[in-house]
Amino acid sequence: MLDYLLNGLTLGAIFAFIALGYTMVYGIIKLINFAHGEFFMFGAFLGFFVLRDMGVERLPLPQPLPILLSYVVALTAASLGAGALAVLTERVAYRPVRRAGRIAALITAVCISLILQNLAVKAWGAKPQAYPQPREWVDVDALEGTSQANLYGVKRIETTEGGVVENEVRVVAAGEAIDDATRARLRAGGHERVYRQVLLDRGWTRGFVILALLLWAPVLWFLVKRTRMGKAMRAVSEDADAARLMGIDINRVISWTFFLGAFVAGVGGVAYCVSYGKVEPLTGFLPGMKAFIAAVIGGIGSIPGAIVGGLVLGTAESLIPYALREGLGWEAAFAWKDAIAFALLILILVFRPTGILGRAVREKV
Amino acid sequence: MSGELLFWLNLLVSVGIYTLLAVSLNLINGSAGMFHLGHHGFWALGAYAATWLTLNAASLPGPLLFVLSLLLAMAVAAIGGLTIGIPCLRLRGDYLAIATLGFGEIIRIAVQNSPEGFLGGSLGIKVPRILMEVTRATQVRFRLLMLAIVVALCALTLVVLRNFLRSSPGRRLLAVAQDETAAGLLGINPTRSKVLAFVLGSAVAGLAGGIYAHYMGGLDPKSFNFMEMVKMFLIIVLGGMGSLSGCVVGAFLVVVTEQLLNRTPEAIYSWWQVLFPLILALMIVFRPQGILGRREIMDVIRAWRRSPA
Repeated sequence: MLDYLLNGLTLGAIFAFIALGYTMVYGIIKLINFAHGEFFMFGAFLGFFVLRDMGVERLPLPQPLPILLSYVVALTAASLGAGALAVLTERVAYRPVRRAGRIAALITAVCISLILQNLAVKAWGAKPQAYPQPREWVDVDALEGTSQANLYGVKRIETTEGGVVENEVRVVAAGEAIDDATRARLRAGGHERVYRQVLLDRGWTRGFVILALLLWAPVLWFLVKRTRMGKAMRAVSEDADAARLMGIDINRVISWTFFLGAFVAGVGGVAYCVSYGKVEPLTGFLPGMKAFIAAVIGGIGSIPGAIVGGLVLGTAESLIPYALREGLGWEAAFAWKDAIAFALLILILVFRPTGILGRAVREKV
Repeated sequence: MSGELLFWLNLLVSVGIYTLLAVSLNLINGSAGMFHLGHHGFWALGAYAATWLTLNAASLPGPLLFVLSLLLAMAVAAIGGLTIGIPCLRLRGDYLAIATLGFGEIIRIAVQNSPEGFLGGSLGIKVPRILMEVTRATQVRFRLLMLAIVVALCALTLVVLRNFLRSSPGRRLLAVAQDETAAGLLGINPTRSKVLAFVLGSAVAGLAGGIYAHYMGGLDPKSFNFMEMVKMFLIIVLGGMGSLSGCVVGAFLVVVTEQLLNRTPEAIYSWWQVLFPLILALMIVFRPQGILGRREIMDVIRAWRRSPA
């Protein structure tokens, strides 16, 4: 039970990360940014490439600094990349339709989402790829006892075009004992150092995700409530024309909002893929939809609402099927968790369209 | 030779099925002005309802079973439209879009998780070819027969919907779409008008689903996905929101492009997935009224004849 609750909260924290971007963009230009899930996916892919190819974890620093550093670099790249993509998308696709009405803008957003998804398929292939798990780069001399996990060495191979690629090869299987003979064999194979998987228990991953949310939420709150740009954002969301008359550069404010929302989604993207162990071009679709549901549950347009909504949805998605399985003996309940999320959305929209923390806005006739 | 003939027959039947889907979506999105993104759900409902009856009433003669399964497909989709319509139609604009999209996804998830003996689950299901004996088991004759059925049903649907839009409930619907508050003040019940359009639209989508099931001879829940929804949307936007004959034009353009690209090498065809959302986005920005706008193809021809050469 507690396990399911914690799982739900972790998932909820990730939903909250994505929901923040939805809510900020919706708050300011009343657009459901369908492509937000694709910013998330793009961030996840950038993190993937950094973790796999950059070799930050090989830096000659005491452990666990290199591992932490590799994640910091991956998260930074993911956030900045997702933010840049969001700014570009806003400039190229959303700005021209801003005056064309909400439905036209929404259709454009749906199209952008599909286009980005399929471009990702063209660039990186449609197949899911294993997400790099945390690992350390250890000296062969430091290895002893029985190896807990597979050890990988890096082999440099010259390609026919004259370039050099690095291939990872498994040099020691999990459970194999390591003695002087093994070390000698590794050295002979040219492996002075090898990769060792850091076995994290799930508590660590969960802690990391929830901690990241706890760290980010106040930062965002501060940016929106206490800075000049935040004040401008709130002004534009209140009344864009009046804000323009007050000398606020609306385009800059909107770009900044997109950047901030996608920046946070990038963090969520890496966190999501590290916890699920894979990344693919469709990675963004379902979490994106869920995060939108979370934003609506919390009250779209409200930043605390996005966080509350994310946590509520994540918990509900984990605990409701659990209750159905344990209480009613319905074994297949977990396969229906996505349907539960959508049903929750429809219920919220019908009975409390402003969400938990949203405020009612009267529609003028 | 026969392969070429089969290709073109298949293309025309697909145009017909997409025309049915597009006119029904157009009734809801174009005429009634509701932004509905769950049409693939109704399509799936119809397809699976028809399949279920075909599997469970196999003792009936083929043609009778075919007609009955289409009727059931329409009925089930209409009931689906009613159940989702009554709570959701109080929502507006983008909220309605998301709620209906959620509904479409729920249908797909439900089918994917269904027991294998009932709807086939995630692996899909085979549909008995009950019309094959009528056509003495040749592919060309089967496709010709399906083409005749699809064309007849498209024509019938177009006439029925045209007359509906000219009738009193249809005019009420158009009034509600233009200005809900004003229509309400004139004594029109907006919710009733919208539910009617929704139910009618979903019934026609169900019909398209039933034909699709019999034509394909097998269903895969993954094929009723959001991409298909966007494709239907592209058809109605191309043709012109609110124009019935525009749907036919749009369906022709989209299906012919897709199927012709499908014959090119994979490297070219795979760009279609990027291309069609791009076309839709460009249409929305540069010509949101589509090719025909709210006009019908006959209006255009008449206007063109009348204008001095």
